[in-house]
Amino acid sequence: MRHALLSFVLLVTAAGSASRVDAQDAQVIEISAERFSFNPSEIRVKAGTKLEIRLTSEDTMHGFHIVGTDINLELPKRGRGVASVTFQPTAGRYEFQCSRLCGAGHSFMRGVIIAAE
Amino acid sequence: MPSSTVENYLKAIYIGTNSLEPPQRLLPMGQLATALNVTPGTATTMVKTLAESGLVEYEPYAGVALTKAGQKLAALVTRRHRLIELFLVQVMGYSWDEVHDEAEQLEHTVSDRFVDRMDAMLGRPETDPHGDPIPNAEGLVKPQKLQTLLTCPLDTKVTVTRIIDQDKDFLRFIEHHNLKPGEAISVEERDPAADSVRVRRSNNRRLTIGTKAASKLLVQAVHVLLLVLLSSPVWAQATPRAEQPRTALSGYMDFHFNNPEFSDAQLDFHRFVLLVTHNFSERIRFVGELELEHAVVEGLEEKGELELEQAYVDFLLSRSFNVRAGMLLMPIGIINERHEPPVYYGVERPFNDTFIIPTTWFEVGAGVHGEVGRGWRYRAYIVAPLDAAEFNAEEGIREGRQKGSEANVSKPGVTGRLEYVAIRGLTLGASGWSGKSGFQFQPVFDVPVSLAEFDARYSRRQLELRGQFSQVWLDNAGRLNDALAIRVGVNPNVARVLRGFYGEAGYRVISHPRFGEIGTFARYENFDTQFRMPTGYVGLPEFDRDAWVVGATYWPDPDVAVKFDYSIVGNRSTVIQAPNSVNIGLGWWF
Repeated sequence: MRHALLSFVLLVTAAGSASRVDAQDAQVIEISAERFSFNPSEIRVKAGTKLEIRLTSEDTMHGFHIVGTDINLELPKRGRGVASVTFQPTAGRYEFQCSRLCGAGHSFMRGVIIAAE
Repeated sequence: MPSSTVENYLKAIYIGTNSLEPPQRLLPMGQLATALNVTPGTATTMVKTLAESGLVEYEPYAGVALTKAGQKLAALVTRRHRLIELFLVQVMGYSWDEVHDEAEQLEHTVSDRFVDRMDAMLGRPETDPHGDPIPNAEGLVKPQKLQTLLTCPLDTKVTVTRIIDQDKDFLRFIEHHNLKPGEAISVEERDPAADSVRVRRSNNRRLTIGTKAASKLLVQAVHVLLLVLLSSPVWAQATPRAEQPRTALSGYMDFHFNNPEFSDAQLDFHRFVLLVTHNFSERIRFVGELELEHAVVEGLEEKGELELEQAYVDFLLSRSFNVRAGMLLMPIGIINERHEPPVYYGVERPFNDTFIIPTTWFEVGAGVHGEVGRGWRYRAYIVAPLDAAEFNAEEGIREGRQKGSEANVSKPGVTGRLEYVAIRGLTLGASGWSGKSGFQFQPVFDVPVSLAEFDARYSRRQLELRGQFSQVWLDNAGRLNDALAIRVGVNPNVARVLRGFYGEAGYRVISHPRFGEIGTFARYENFDTQFRMPTGYVGLPEFDRDAWVVGATYWPDPDVAVKFDYSIVGNRSTVIQAPNSVNIGLGWWF
């Protein structure tokens, strides 16, 4: 419980002081989405690395949700821009999935970010 | 020193070409003439002169682009213009909606030394009052990654960074509503029906503007650093969760005009499909797909069909292992699981996906699926088998689908697919189906059916290639024919092997940000539903068929496809001729 409280304080402090982050020093990860896969769908990084995830769609609108977090982006349709988010994972596996119904194989659109020490 | 007219032309070409979406490189002459408020003839004459001076390259009927020398001159004129605008606002107290006209005059008269002093005095700024980037003294610009209010993510904080229309009234509107560069806003809703976009401003007030105005505001994401400290399950539960839409509705439609040889032309509302999904939680999801084919369903007549093509619950346990049960799409081939009209060329689905693989092939069952790492994905299901009593010579196993309607599962079938997707743009797949299908006959005898399929799909920018090979084996086909001959009085002449393959190449020849994309394609297909006959039976040459399908698709929107194709179908028969056809289709997804 003490650990959880400490973590909560850290998160609030960090979020409050970093409402706008310079993403220049972040590692850029480019992901393309199409019915029904993300590519790449498996991303391995060093724990603690600041990531700037840039997503484009090759067809319709897709979603990008990292399960267990509040990251949930809507990807514009093909040729209409890039969605991006900054994410700094600690060690662990972070599954992501399409969060916008995109067709018959919507449930197959999944992937994982593996952050290793 | 170039004249002011030359500078104005170079600047207009510079601004115009910077707004083009790759791969378009040339600025159409009409667009240039409009920007300069001159006639196209006047613009063309001047551009030809500039081309002779080596400042632009001009391609008749295509457009104009700057050469390296022209690019630098144009960037320096633009630099003067934008620095003057900023100077007028910051130092001389002009409002931002009145500086453009002043700068138009002054940009041709001030010296480079004056401009450099101004630049230093303003602190070497990167943007002017409207957010337009200011080229440096070398004519170079720091790249901007911007989206419009029509394309940025919903409900995400973005910063207004640039206003691309400098009309005075529009700039006053922007200022009046606190939408100037630097303001933090978010887009809450886009309503295509009303052509409107609702934004929430930094003062938490909402404002609805038209899509035309929204397209002129460029924004940049405010990156929020998320320090996700998932070090224990307790903390994982305390992490804020995104609001997921619990229930969502989507669908696709397919409207066709078919004009085959030897019969009348038809207009057919081929498919009206609604998809619904419901998230019970992040890990449990329902997906359903209800399809109305050929618009009308009437009892006992050969009209349309109302079919439940998917209705399953997915238990998303982990990336590598998930369970689903209900009405499932068989994971066979390219089209069966990926059949939304805008994603494939051609008005009708490939012949192979009708006569060899019976798409849309759906059946009740349960199974597992997942991705095991390094781009390998799988699905494996146990499903209701095919009904061999419905097999025939022309369409092979197609009519044998039980479609989950009180399906006989005394001897269930199995199906699976293995996919490799690790290389960007490339999907390789292998799938199979196996089951015993003779449950209708007394005494019961087995009609084991096996299907093997291999496919590849590659897309890179404008190019798309795909190919598929499939073969079906029916054991005991001779006994099946004998049994059916006794039962219905006609021998169906079912084969023991069916085989088909196709290859297709498509290329998007035009990609325009406003008008959409146009692609052309050609596909060769070979399909034979009597490739090998059982002992004592002879295959009919009319079922050994091939086809060339050529045509084009226009996507005014990535989710809307207007299709045209011409199908040239042949067979080995000298008596029965296969009909060629002209087909036009309109398909969409929402």
